Amino acid sequence: MDSMNSFGASADPKSAVMNQVRQEAAMNNARLLIEKINDHCFERCVPKPGSSLSSGETTCFTQCMEKYMAAWNTVSRQYIGRIQQEQGKAAGGGSGGMF
Amino acid sequence: MDSPTSSLEQNVDLSKLSDKDKQELQQFVVNESQKSSDPAKSVHSLTETCFKKCVTGAIRSGKLDKGEESCTQNCVDRFLDANFTVIRHLEQMRGSV
Repeated sequence: MDSMNSFGASADPKSAVMNQVRQEAAMNNARLLIEKINDHCFERCVPKPGSSLSSGETTCFTQCMEKYMAAWNTVSRQYIGRIQQEQGKAAGGGSGGMF
Repeated sequence: MDSPTSSLEQNVDLSKLSDKDKQELQQFVVNESQKSSDPAKSVHSLTETCFKKCVTGAIRSGKLDKGEESCTQNCVDRFLDANFTVIRHLEQMRGSV
């Protein structure tokens, strides 16, 4: 909260707002990722919920989490690369796209 | 997409928000939310789809193994191929009416 105040006071209010918007977008993105990780890794790692989370399940969870993030990175790279490529094609086969 | 943002940051009187500033800021928020939501949503849902399809074995490490990695890459490419095929076909259908 403090940092936000100094943000607004020193920089102009407009870029402060813009920064905040960007930050919120990043936050939403992270929140969505965590939600998906929970869904998928719970499904994979805890097929039969017991009275507590076993150490095996915990290990599975942390590995699954890293794996899911790795998958996200791969997808993101591949997706952006492909879109760029298609935009290059559409623009008459050559100069870079908009990314 | 790029120019409105950068001109915003450069040309604006920084001391207070005029009505014009407010309007531009509003536009920025609209742009930004569109920009961040559409591709980001696609990446999230594609990750979901491809994770389900490609990571099928027991999870024994935090990294994607070779097979999973290339499967994921193919998954994205084939998904987009399918997407483009649908769009092309729609355009054809529209053209033939």
